[in-house]
Amino acid sequence: MDEHNEQELAEIRKVLKELLVTNLNLEDIEPEQIKDDEILFGQGLGLDSLDAVEIVVLLQRNFGLEVKDMKEGKKIFYSLDTLARYVLENRKQ
Amino acid sequence: MDKKSPEFQERHRGNALGFWIFGFFLRIFGLRGAYGFLHFVCLYYLLFDRPAVAGADAYIQRRFPGGGFIRSRWRVYRLFISQGKQLIDRYAAIAGLVQFNIKAEGEEQLAELLRNRKEGLILLTAHIGNWQVALTTLRNLNRTVHLVMRPEDNEAVARALSLSRESDFIRIISPEADLDGVFQIMNALKQGDVVSIMGDRKYDFDAIDVSFLGAMAYFPYGAFVIAAAVGCPVVVLLPAKLSHKKYLIDVHNVLQPCYSGAAGKKESLRPYVQEFSNILSNYVEHYPYQCFLFHDVWRN
Repeated sequence: MDEHNEQELAEIRKVLKELLVTNLNLEDIEPEQIKDDEILFGQGLGLDSLDAVEIVVLLQRNFGLEVKDMKEGKKIFYSLDTLARYVLENRKQ
Repeated sequence: MDKKSPEFQERHRGNALGFWIFGFFLRIFGLRGAYGFLHFVCLYYLLFDRPAVAGADAYIQRRFPGGGFIRSRWRVYRLFISQGKQLIDRYAAIAGLVQFNIKAEGEEQLAELLRNRKEGLILLTAHIGNWQVALTTLRNLNRTVHLVMRPEDNEAVARALSLSRESDFIRIISPEADLDGVFQIMNALKQGDVVSIMGDRKYDFDAIDVSFLGAMAYFPYGAFVIAAAVGCPVVVLLPAKLSHKKYLIDVHNVLQPCYSGAAGKKESLRPYVQEFSNILSNYVEHYPYQCFLFHDVWRN
């Protein structure tokens, strides 16, 4: 990945962290406290399936992305990093 | 699942021999014959199935407060018989032995809602009446109906009552599928389908406490989170058995959950869950022996 893409990925991660904190009502968590490779569900951020609903909508509203493939969805939603990479790769198409 | 848990025992109630006997009575003596045999079976459950009685009694004590022991047990017995009759009806309908007269109230409004929007809608129901028979009337909507329900793990029940079978317009989404389930629900709504969710038992999901039959009860609010996120309406499905072969399906209650700015997301959904609880309260007021919660929703 070139330097430009790395910068863009970092920017997307930052935006996603802010969106997650705002949209999921994550109490007592600041966006900068979320690690770049933070696992989203179960361990890590401890999100649940209802939070996944919010993330699906959040991706659609903010990046125009729809997760249609369920098997893909699990991989995409694994961590903040996988989510950011999905946004980066698909936003450009 | 713990074998002593009420949920495990509930899901393993009924066996192939039992269904065969009921099928025999139904074919030889008709509905009334099968209903008659039911009285003995329900007496057995009343006397020996403590978890079932305890589950039913939680509702009976709230619906008919201060009834005394004998009267409460009589009401539990009536509730068992009422549910048994509806299970027999379902079996008879699936086997094609009896034609039921099903009248739908609000069906035109429901069709209109679907016609006027790209996304689908959520059909919120509960363990009341014969909701499985009610769903068959939705065939007229010409939309796929996705049932969010746990797969039936009692083979005899699944075989006899077709709970887990998918028909040409019904698909099953398992809530145990976790994220997969969420994606399936979201995709179904996006493509304009109907998603049917049970809104009265919280299982392992988050719940909101709202007033129900005079005390605070815990109802899951997942359906409302999904509706608010997608921006789709929630239509409440209320099925009721009116007489021997007559059913009424009421789908005229429509809720449109959305988040309000000031309150947190969970809090801003509370009024909608309360509204659903009020609709259920009104239903059990009219049909006290068609509420098959069999679960203490008043205990967190």
